[in-house]
This record gives sequence, C-alpha cells and structure tokens, in this order.
Amino acid sequence: MATTSPQAERPPLWRDLRVLKVLAQVVAVGAAAVLVYVVWFNLTNNLAARGLSLGFDFLDEPFGVPVAGSDFSPGSAIWRALIVGLQNTFALVVVGLPLVTVVGVLVGIGRLSTNWLVAKASGFYVEALRNTPPLLVIFFAFNAVILQLPQIAEPIDLFGLVIINNRFIAVASLSNVEGSGVFWAVAAVALFLAVIVWVWRSRRFDRIGSPHHRVVWSLGVLVGIVLAAYLALGGPVEISHPELEGRVLTGGISGLAAYFAMLAALVLYTASHVAEIVRGSILAVPKGQTEAANALALSGFQRLRHVVLPQAMRIAIPPVISQYLNYTKNTSLGIAVGYTEFTLIAFQAIGNGQPAPQLILLVMLGYLAFSLVISALVNMLNRRLQFVTR
Amino acid sequence: MKRYRLMAAFAALILVIAACTDAGSDGSTTTAAAGGEGDGGADGATLAAVQDRGSLNCGVNNAVPGFGFVDEDGNFSGFDIDYCRAVATAVLGDPEAVEFVELTAQQRFTALASGEIDVLIRNTTATATRDGSEGATFATTTFYDGQGMMVRTGEFDSIDAMADTTICVLTGTTTELNLATRFADIPYTPLTFEDNEQLQEAFIAGQCDGWTSDKSQLAAIRSAWPDAEGGPEALEILEETFSKEPLGPVTRDGDSQWSQIVDWVVIVTMEAEELGVDSTNVDSFADTEDSAIRRLLGLEITDADGNTAIFDPGLGLEPGWAADVIREVGNYAEIYDRNVGPGSPLGLERLLNALWIDGGLHYPRPYR
Repeated sequence: MATTSPQAERPPLWRDLRVLKVLAQVVAVGAAAVLVYVVWFNLTNNLAARGLSLGFDFLDEPFGVPVAGSDFSPGSAIWRALIVGLQNTFALVVVGLPLVTVVGVLVGIGRLSTNWLVAKASGFYVEALRNTPPLLVIFFAFNAVILQLPQIAEPIDLFGLVIINNRFIAVASLSNVEGSGVFWAVAAVALFLAVIVWVWRSRRFDRIGSPHHRVVWSLGVLVGIVLAAYLALGGPVEISHPELEGRVLTGGISGLAAYFAMLAALVLYTASHVAEIVRGSILAVPKGQTEAANALALSGFQRLRHVVLPQAMRIAIPPVISQYLNYTKNTSLGIAVGYTEFTLIAFQAIGNGQPAPQLILLVMLGYLAFSLVISALVNMLNRRLQFVTR
Repeated sequence: MKRYRLMAAFAALILVIAACTDAGSDGSTTTAAAGGEGDGGADGATLAAVQDRGSLNCGVNNAVPGFGFVDEDGNFSGFDIDYCRAVATAVLGDPEAVEFVELTAQQRFTALASGEIDVLIRNTTATATRDGSEGATFATTTFYDGQGMMVRTGEFDSIDAMADTTICVLTGTTTELNLATRFADIPYTPLTFEDNEQLQEAFIAGQCDGWTSDKSQLAAIRSAWPDAEGGPEALEILEETFSKEPLGPVTRDGDSQWSQIVDWVVIVTMEAEELGVDSTNVDSFADTEDSAIRRLLGLEITDADGNTAIFDPGLGLEPGWAADVIREVGNYAEIYDRNVGPGSPLGLERLLNALWIDGGLHYPRPYR
C-alpha cells in the first residue's frame, strides 16, 4: 500500500471498520440480488421450456364453478371468484379477532384467579389448545361437532329465530321496507347522542364524583329515540325470519357450517395463545402497582380495571399482533373442510388448469396485504395507548 | 398431515423454481436430482435419469380402491398402480422398482412439471387444456370412464330431480367443471373437499345429497362403504353419465422418447390380450410361428433369406421388455380383472374398456 495517509492512525482499507461495514452491506445486497436473479431466471426458463406463460390474463377467464355460500355465478371471471374468497376470509377475520381478544383476555385473567376451579379450568384450556396443531382443532370442530348437528331434514328451530343444521346456521335479521333510510339515519344520530351522553356522564363523574349511571343514561337515550322513530315511521324495518322449505332457505342471514367450524376452531386455538400473553403481561406489571391500588382500598375489579390491565395491555399488544396475524394466516386451513376462503378458491382455479405460479403469488400477496393492514391498525392503537399513558 | 398440504404446494412451486439449478448433481433419488433432467426436457433424459436412479417415481392416488389405494400396511394396489409397475418393468426390469408418490388432484400437475415424478398414473382425464397449458403429454387411454352421481338409495331417481341440493365434489378436478355444466339450469351448491376421506365424512353426516365423480371411482367408494353406514346397498349410482373421462398415464412435455415408452407399455398390454398372451403362458411361445407374437415378445425372427434378428422398434428399451411386462404384471385383461373387473369388489364390466374385437374402445396400435 503506497498511499498511507499522513495523519495516519488509520488502518489499511481491509482492516478499516468503516470500510468493512459498508463492504459487508454491499456483499449482502449483492448476494440477495444474485439469489433473486437465479430464482427468477430458473422460474422463467423452466416455464418457457414447458411453454407456460407468466402473464395474468387468465384472471379474466370464467371461473367455471359456483362458490358455496355466495351467489357467485360460474360464468364470472376468476378474479371475481378470488374476491369472493377474500370476502370469506375477511368474514372469518373480522368476526374472529374480537372474539379472540375477549376470550383470550378472560382466560388470561382466569388463569391468575384465586378461585381454584377458574384457575385450573383456564390452565387446562390453554395447555390443551396451545399444544395442538390448529389443523387438528379444525378437523375436530368440523367432524366431531359441526357434522354431528342434526341433518337438514330435521333441523333445530329456535322460535323461528335460529335454524341450526349441519349444512348451515341461519339467524333472523332485520330487513328494510319503505322509508327505512330515514329510520337508519335517526338511529345513527341516536347512537352518536348516546356516545356524547356517555362521555358527559363520565366527565361529570370524574369532576364532582357523583354517581354516573352512564349505562342507563346512554341506553335510555339510544332506545328511547330509536323506539320513538320506529313508532313514528310506522314500522320501517321488520324482522326477517329464516325459513326452510325442503332444502331451500329464505330470509334471515346464514353462514355455512364450515364457516362456524373454522371460526370456533381458530378462535379457541388463537385465544389460548393470547391468554398466555395476557397472563404474562399482567405478571409483568410491577407488584408495587397492585400494592398501591390495595392501599387505596380499590376493590379487586377496580384494581384490575383501572390499575393493572391498562398497564398490562401496553405490554401485551405487540405480541398479540403476531397472534392476530397467525389467526389470519391460519384461515387458509379452511381448504381442509371445504370452506370457500381465498386459498381454496385459488387452488380450485389451479386444479382447473390455471397457472400455479401466478395464483400462488397472488395468494401470498393477499395474505401479505391482510397482515400489513392488521398490524398497521393495531400499531396505531398501540401508539395511542403508549402516548396516553406516558 | 400427509394429505393436507398448503406447504406441499409451495414446496412444489419452489421445485419448479429450483428445477434447473443442479442438473445431474448426484443422480440419487432426491426430487431435486429428478428435476435436474428437466432442463429443457432433452430427449431421453428422463429414461437415463430413471435408470441411473434405479427406480421410477410414479405419481398415484392413495384413496380409490381398485385404482390407486394404499392399505394399512403401506402396500399399494390397484389398476393405476399396476401400470406404474408395468412401466418400471419395461425400463428397469423390476416391477418393484417403483417409488409411489401420493398426490392430491391439484398437486399432480405441479409435481409432474417440477420433475418430482417421472410419470403420473392417477385416474387423470386427458383434456386439451392440460395438454396445452399444463405441460402434460397423455399416453394411450387405459380406462374409459364417465362422470356419474351417487346418492343415498331411494332419495333421487335422476339428476334432473336434484334441484336445490348440495353436491360434494373433489377440488381441482374436471369433475367440478362437468358438474357445473350439467347443473347449468339446476340450482345447486357445490361443497368441495381436498380428499375422499374428508368428503366421505361429510357425505355420511348428510352435508351433501349427492357425490359426483368418475363412475369407476364411485363404484370403488361404494364397494368399500362402511357396514356401519349400511354397506354398499345404502348407496346407488344414478344411471346417467354426463361426461367423457378418458383416463391414462401422463408424462411431461419435452421428452418424447419417455412419452413414447409409457405409451407403448400401455399398448403392449392390450396387444398381448389381443394375441392371447398372458402372464401364465408368456414363456410358452418360444416355438410359435406367429410373427406378431414373436415381435411382441422379442423372440428371434428368421426372414426369407434365413437371417435371424430380434425385432427392436427403437424405443430405447431392452429387447424382450414387453415379455417382462406381461410376465411380471400381466396383459390388460389380467390387470383389469384383478383390480376392477366383475370378480373384484368393484365389479365393473368391461363395456367401453373391452378390446375393439369385443366391441369396446381399446384398439392397440400394431407393434411392428
């Protein structure tokens, strides 16, 4: 090395830490690029050798088969079928995640209960489900529970409000008649007012300490206005009862049996993991906090509600996000019990002669999008909580 | 979980991607090495790879009694399985030199394209799309089948009576599309499953009113219907056949020599039946005057000038390979009767699957 610098405590290039750090990154990026190139090169080459294309034009071709639990017509395009699949996956996620949270928190608290039975039962639930593969839980829910429901010829009918059989479960719903738009607008306003009343009562309680009775007040406002509007508009909505004639269901809203099997299995499975996180987070709240709450003579519930849980939730949220993501990804197991979710639709298309590489890529992107949206939402909540409590 | 595999599909995708990376690295039985021959699918590469490896990777079904079935002890049996053995006998001289790869309906073409298997013999229907865009080449049809509908005895007497029903069907099969076509004007709900076991559970529980599949498969399933559920009598297969399902072995596009070998293995079993050669008498023809039999069995033929020669069609196989196939596996009639014929639990008559001389559709091309 001819040109060593004069101020030169500086080591030669190959021992200069700053240079080496940059070099290491360049090498890593280069290696990754080469890997991607090799994989891509092989894929395109192999597909070309077999005369297969990498285009996405096939998405416009007809899907060819109907989709259970939707009014999808066989002549519609493949991309529409994929959307139906996404909707079905979404239906599992949007109903499931709140349930996972509720069950998980309750069981997590239950494990720490001083009540022997509650603690042991929660512990048994967590250990049994946490150590079982989710697919097995799904098969159990489907084969041992849902399939054992009565057959469609002799369904369980609860007062015309709920119809249960092993093909679907239907419940009564509200159906609109004329003038219902006004009614729903009034109902929305009533809900808004109820929230305002809730906030007002809470603030008043915080300020002067008089009993808030906010549940009664809010519900009173909501029910009062809605009822008045209902009567004034002469019955703008009516209840649609599910009715079964032979095999044809009319009225109400219904879900396929496989949907409920998936929902029950995934909620119970994921909640067992969330329960452990909640338990750990509660234990992670410093003991002094509990002792301080006791010193203030807070009741057990008040201590949990106002002191321990708010702090525990801050700790719990990041790991709970990954459980939410696991839940979302596990919905792809619906293919095992014939639930028409995203993966099943994509695989159906593959089986019917559509190109696998593109469809699997789409499936991957679909789950990626789901996961990113969920973690973005929960992270937003997380930031808010962290900010408020600091 | 051996049947349910999202992972496997991804693995298969990775195999497609990886197929070229190390052509012929070690020639062992790994799937990657098998994929190595896929670089452009050079002629003869598959035969060489199979012979190097010493065993044939054959993609099969594991859940259809009579066609492709694996019992509790892990033994494979069935009509399709016998054709795997026939191909192995032709190229390796040993009916046992087969590695059976169990595949679901929707894994099969990916597995074939990636080189995980050398030949797919899994009640696969030949269609234009599969030929054109799945990179598949179809050999001579081994079994002429058609789609039918199985219902609980006495519930329906025709397909047109099945309005508003739920029909169970396997995903990723031509069956699904035929069903949609047949029911174009009949409202129905399809319930799709990945494998026959899960479908059977759902059917027994009454989730679906009908089970549609190839009639041969339905017969197989019906024959093995559990006694606890009433045995075969509890089910009936409706008379109507609403699709054509020519089933046969499938090979990868791009290696025509290999495709020809598989094709001719099928043909010689039929040719043998036509000539009256079977596994019991195959070695008794040493002195026969019949030149067609002498050609088929690879016996010396003396021409008008007194020169002797052994007929070699140039398929790249040892002379006498057809005799080995017939000796070890049997002719078409033997394979059929043993697995699915009237004497077997399936009890399927030959009908379309009889030889042309008996009024069926099998018309073996001349081996000369």
